[in-house]
Amino acid sequence: MSLVVQFVTKIRGFALEADGASLKDWLQVENDVPHIYYNMAQEIKSTFPDNGTDALEKFVDKCLPEEDDVQEGKGSPWPGFNSFIKDYLEYWRDVNFDDVVNVYTRLSELLISCANALANPTYGVMLLQTSMALSESLSKLVMSLTRQPEVLALIEGDETGDGESKSIVEMAADIIQKFFTSCLGDRSSTRWAPPKGKKVAVYLFANLTLKLLFACEKSHLAVQMFTNLSTSGPALSLYPASQRVTFLYYLGRFNFDNGHYFRAHMCLEEAYRQTHSQFLKHRRQILTYWIPSNILCGRFPSVALLSRPEAAGFAEIFLPICAAVRTGNFVAFHAALNQNRDWLWDRGLYIVFLYRLKPLLWRSLTRKTFLLRSEMMRSSLEGGEGGDSNRAASLALEDVVVTAGYVQRLLEGYVPVNPAARAKPAPAGVSTVFMKAVNNNVVVPGQDGLLVPPPGGPRYLMPSEGLIFGNRKPDVESVESVVAGLVYGGLLVGFIARQQKRFAVEGAKKYGGNAVRAGWPEVYTALGQRFRESWEEGMEAGDRGEGEPVGEFEECPGWVRDSS
Amino acid sequence: MATSKAPSADPKSSSDVPADQQPQQQKQQTLEEDDEFEDFPVDDWQADDTEATQNQQPQHLWEESWDDDDTTDDFSNQLKEELKKVEASKKR
Repeated sequence: MSLVVQFVTKIRGFALEADGASLKDWLQVENDVPHIYYNMAQEIKSTFPDNGTDALEKFVDKCLPEEDDVQEGKGSPWPGFNSFIKDYLEYWRDVNFDDVVNVYTRLSELLISCANALANPTYGVMLLQTSMALSESLSKLVMSLTRQPEVLALIEGDETGDGESKSIVEMAADIIQKFFTSCLGDRSSTRWAPPKGKKVAVYLFANLTLKLLFACEKSHLAVQMFTNLSTSGPALSLYPASQRVTFLYYLGRFNFDNGHYFRAHMCLEEAYRQTHSQFLKHRRQILTYWIPSNILCGRFPSVALLSRPEAAGFAEIFLPICAAVRTGNFVAFHAALNQNRDWLWDRGLYIVFLYRLKPLLWRSLTRKTFLLRSEMMRSSLEGGEGGDSNRAASLALEDVVVTAGYVQRLLEGYVPVNPAARAKPAPAGVSTVFMKAVNNNVVVPGQDGLLVPPPGGPRYLMPSEGLIFGNRKPDVESVESVVAGLVYGGLLVGFIARQQKRFAVEGAKKYGGNAVRAGWPEVYTALGQRFRESWEEGMEAGDRGEGEPVGEFEECPGWVRDSS
Repeated sequence: MATSKAPSADPKSSSDVPADQQPQQQKQQTLEEDDEFEDFPVDDWQADDTEATQNQQPQHLWEESWDDDDTTDDFSNQLKEELKKVEASKKR
């Protein structure tokens, strides 16, 4: 008996027994198989050459007749199955492992055929394990292709290696998503009962799809999948830990990519908590996004967290950024970002930090300006220099223009006037007041406050590098606009008295007259409040029948929690 | 193939991998170590092996109160001097 006949006969036996595990073991597609597969491939080539006839199809149908009377727990071939087996034999006939393009094309076609066969509501489930194995093979192949842009370009006829070159990964994700959809639609078990049938593989296929979508930076294409899960997906808790953690990791990153940092935090926190404590690499990968999610929500990583082995090296990356945010020091902020630019950039964190942390820096800078001005007023009162002690707690926008202008000039490369004189103590017998007076009266061409332009003129700043926009000088209007934005975002509490050109703090009485606490609430609390408000607005809009329906406050679309 | 056991991988199969693909695979591994969320080596584990069910209060992982009230550091001093300087120039 020829090898191909033996093979198909064996396959028939497994189909009749509905033995999915054996089908998977036999329907192998990778090159590291026993040589007998290659012998079979040779045989198919000679017996059923690719000559446009339907000889192979007829052969398969003859070997795999559909059973009429199938007992409970047993199976039978079905047309989709036969079609898949024919495609499988053709795969071995045509595949050329020396040609990765060929392997990709053949395997993709085979996967589509397998997905069609799996969709059979009665017997499809026997191909579930095969579907998983084939999908993993395709995923592995495609992931390796993503690192070979020249091969990707070849497949897609895009010689530049960019542009459309990522669509191959998308196509693979599309194919694997077919399996996901097929499994999600299985009715063998309800959403809240232990999964049966094809439902056992819902999250496995979801995770494979997500892996590919993230690899090609097309995570936004996962929206439909998350929506489908929210609508009819089984509870995540019913699945093995590895699948739960992987899914929550990707859902967290999806939310991170879409600016939902609170949701990203929720997903990544749970992923981290559910990861076996020995899987340091996975925990580290989760931390890579969990820490930034929290920083963007206004919470900084503690020493305890950064001391964990999986966080090795993270303190050097994140702490300087946090320190710069804390002080409102834009110069230190850019330096901290640039110090680890490549690392941050590769993980999609650089741009997010650059733009999303700016409001937090502005908040700190305005807060610092307020503190400094208050201190100066106190000391002038104590020194009997007069001053308005009764003025309500407020911040002159002009003061912010001064401090922001100073920081802007530092960013442009301005250098302190006579830094040596500033740094050194005054010579013995000379009063510091006198020295300051002397320094203050030094006339330097181009001098602007305490700084002078660098040799060669101010540094050209990219739009994102300047406080307002590139080299644009902060003025009252731009500062007012920044402050208004901070008030709107809940980071400052008060209002702008436009005539006085001041930001007036509200609610200081509530804090025993502490205007700083009242006007500059803790960022995490303020952003959390803002998040809640926007959720409430969504709820109200939903009640009016407008916009998308909004779930519970702590709900995260795509994350199916236990039924309550 | 006549055997009823699953076909086992041929130890010689690694020689089937074209030589030019081998270094690339090695390179991939290094990259994967850095960027990818790898498959877990086991499918499932007990909640006891994680932090999720250790009913203790979670450790202090995040700082929510981080505002900087220090007005004597170098950056604050520079800003203070600048404010004074501008104020003085206005009075003149």
